[in-house]
Amino acid sequence: MSADTAGPETLGSLSDEPQQQDPNSQQAKEIAGKSPMRIALGRLAKDKIAVVCALVVLFFIICAVFAGPICALFGVDLVTPLASERVDGLNKGLPKPEMGPPNGPFTWDHPMGVAPRTGEDNLAYWLYGCRVSLLIATTATIFASIVGVVIGLLAGFLGGTVDKVLSFFIDMFLTIPFLLAALTMAPIINDRFNTADNYSTIQKVALVIVLSIFGWMGTARLIRGEVITLREREFVQAARVMGMPTSRILFKELLPNLAAPIIISVSLMLPTFVALEAGLAFLGIGVTDGISWGQTILKATNLTFFREYPQYLWQPLLGIVALVLSLNLLGDAVRDALDPKTRR
Amino acid sequence: MHVAGDAVLGENKKERLDSMKRNKPLALVAGAALLTLAACGGGSSDDDGSNDAGAEKTFGGQEGGSKDPERQGPAEEIADATAGGTITVYLPGDPGPDSLDPTGGWSVTGNSIQQALTSRSLTQYVRDEEGQPVLVPDLATDLGTPNEDYTEWTFTIREDATWEDGQPVTAEEVAFGICRSLDSEAFPSGPGTEYSKAFFAGAEDYEGPYTGKDPKCEAWDGIAVDGQDITISMAVPFPDMDYWGAFMAMGPAPLGNASKPPNYGNQPLANGPYKVESYKPNEELVLVKNDQWSADSDPGRHQYADEFVFKFNQDQAKVDEIMLSDNSDSQTAVSTALGSDKYTDANGQLGERLVQQTSQCVSTLTPDYTKITEIEVRKALAYAYPYEDVWIASGEVPGVTRVPANGVMPPGMAGKVDFQVDGEQITYDPEKSKELLAEAGYGDEPYEITMVVYEVDPLAVAAQDQITKGFEAGGFSVKVIPVQESPYNIWLDPDNKVNKTLNLRGVNWCSDWPAGSTMLPPLLKGGAVYNTAGFDEASVNDEMDRINTLPLDEQADAWGALDEKIMTEYFPIIPTAFRNDLFVFGTKIGNPTGDGSIGAPNYKDLFVIQ
Repeated sequence: MSADTAGPETLGSLSDEPQQQDPNSQQAKEIAGKSPMRIALGRLAKDKIAVVCALVVLFFIICAVFAGPICALFGVDLVTPLASERVDGLNKGLPKPEMGPPNGPFTWDHPMGVAPRTGEDNLAYWLYGCRVSLLIATTATIFASIVGVVIGLLAGFLGGTVDKVLSFFIDMFLTIPFLLAALTMAPIINDRFNTADNYSTIQKVALVIVLSIFGWMGTARLIRGEVITLREREFVQAARVMGMPTSRILFKELLPNLAAPIIISVSLMLPTFVALEAGLAFLGIGVTDGISWGQTILKATNLTFFREYPQYLWQPLLGIVALVLSLNLLGDAVRDALDPKTRR
Repeated sequence: MHVAGDAVLGENKKERLDSMKRNKPLALVAGAALLTLAACGGGSSDDDGSNDAGAEKTFGGQEGGSKDPERQGPAEEIADATAGGTITVYLPGDPGPDSLDPTGGWSVTGNSIQQALTSRSLTQYVRDEEGQPVLVPDLATDLGTPNEDYTEWTFTIREDATWEDGQPVTAEEVAFGICRSLDSEAFPSGPGTEYSKAFFAGAEDYEGPYTGKDPKCEAWDGIAVDGQDITISMAVPFPDMDYWGAFMAMGPAPLGNASKPPNYGNQPLANGPYKVESYKPNEELVLVKNDQWSADSDPGRHQYADEFVFKFNQDQAKVDEIMLSDNSDSQTAVSTALGSDKYTDANGQLGERLVQQTSQCVSTLTPDYTKITEIEVRKALAYAYPYEDVWIASGEVPGVTRVPANGVMPPGMAGKVDFQVDGEQITYDPEKSKELLAEAGYGDEPYEITMVVYEVDPLAVAAQDQITKGFEAGGFSVKVIPVQESPYNIWLDPDNKVNKTLNLRGVNWCSDWPAGSTMLPPLLKGGAVYNTAGFDEASVNDEMDRINTLPLDEQADAWGALDEKIMTEYFPIIPTAFRNDLFVFGTKIGNPTGDGSIGAPNYKDLFVIQ
């Protein structure tokens, strides 16, 4: 029996490689069986921040999906009451004492209180606001990512004239100021569709379109750059030599290798859109029917209400901050987990 | 006359909204942006019990006002008044006038400031001990002498009035100023377009000194100057000429190019107790003492403070904080509005320094007379409108800034009849609404109502939600069309595709002087611009024409009776509220009062307590 020339004694402290193991041991088999995705998930599970953020995001998703049943559970709804039944017009339009804070004790009838001036139930509006926020952000993210990925793939892989034309469009859309465009679109959409019965749906669809149109460029650029480096790699060259059609190379060879950048750009796009939706609603464009965190904040930014009834502003604000922050941190964690160079 | 800035426009996006409204040359409540502003008026005894708290405050109301043709300068001294100091006036959410040209001014803000301080006219109002406006002479030595049928008015111009440069104000200059008001192209939003053009002889064919290339106003023969006497001929009898004379448009302008618009509007030559030192439109107007003004020549104005600073477009919440803090800035300040959310605090803390002034305004809903033909349905709408809830949701204080209305003429207007259409004040009563609908034969399925809402303002949307709620409870179904421009742009445009689908509109209207002739015909005469109901009954139109020819002392009662008759027989318009304004005065401002003639602080009589 002979000793290894470069045994643990000499290399162990210099190498980051896992310690050599018997390839037939139970432990080694487990490692070998892990796909990159499982490794990433394993890393995520060990990341405490990621777990907390994922739970928070899950909470919001549950709130959004089950807004109706949760409201029914608490016995609250979106129906506008007669204002005088719930608020006191002679006392700054604040809720009556029996409606809970700020003038009365907590009541299960309205767990989050009612809105000043209108008496609408805050919990119901918060839950449905969450749904609107996530619905719009998710849909817009999906559309923007698909457009961004496809254009990035084409531009990066085909190169030449196609790349030049597509890059021109990417640059052109980047130059259009988003806010200005959104402000311009709102009255046009209003003018065209305001007599329609499903105006509020049209409004949301329009918002998704606007967000997608101005949200895909970042992804497209990222993907294009990645593709340019990947397309010179051997496996792509091999696929070409074998005569694979371009579409197959794009979607079967390149796309799987782009999972990390795509997931990252999606995970960062989502919180951006949540914040944008609220911001636009605050400005009175986008969602205007009142069921949106941004609209609630707009109504609550009033010095008197903030002084006497700060919960009214904090509720939607905390919703947005918690959701955006967790989505961002989760996105970071996912990025770290997917990056093979990261060591924990 | 329009008022800029309405509490309902809310705290949030005032600037954006105002910039939209600013260009509206309309004789109208600009807050108009909202149908829901409906407001009503008060003073009448019909408080409905739940408004007790509001009743503690006495209204700076009106009794219709009176006239005193004998009044001569100097104006009576205000008790304990002291001279000196600077008065800062905050105008929250109010962009102020676009131009200071007296001929073009037709807004509550601009006219209240300029008529009180810088620009004199034929007549003016003063506030008497009870707070009522009294029409007294100004540049004229009396209130004018009409001929028998009011087709000719003669005013004698006083000799001792001067411009800020020391030159005397001549009869020729007054005549030229009046002539300018006929130029509806140079002053498209001026009040002359409504009154001079309609009443003065030969005015219809005369294009005015600028548009008609007649710089000396020689081509118009409707006015004659003889020494100090000015004689105006009327095309139709015009008994209210003395009231019209209180508009600064009926005042002098320097002859020739010196007063050429639009430049003159930046720095008009003052002839009142104050002159313009600097003027930045939409920002600030600074007025300083005019040392050429002589108190003896003026029966109505004072010159106590050294300086007035008007700050336009202020943030309501910020101004409220300043005024309630009682710091050195706010002690000599005045605010022309108070956020409704501060009303309770301010009412307790400020006492008599919070002045509640009845403005001669009415908010209305106007059912389309050609589409909603049954009076029962129109009344059903009135019963299905949740008045108090709408006021709360739109940020008003029920019973304080908005009070129930019974007719078109605001409380205190001469001739106003305290009638009730159905014997008592119409209040929210959905059951009664359903009964009325059933009576009209619509009991089986909801009666469809189509209206617009200004969706940019969350307060307007919230108020609309209340209206929808009330109407639906009352047996209607409501289709709400959200719009992003002022509803007036829709309601007043007969070709607008949205407008064509509406069967319920609205108007907020303020009187130009305390007479029914500035309320009823603009809203209810067939073909009138602001008659958004499309109400057109030959008998009513004829009656309006007839009242205009009646002897002056019978007119007021005739208008009151017509108001009652129209409301009782046709109910073409649903008065939802009379409006009140809230003014806040600093602790060192003397004589905190409102001006009942126009719905603004009483600038003429303010002073700084030294």
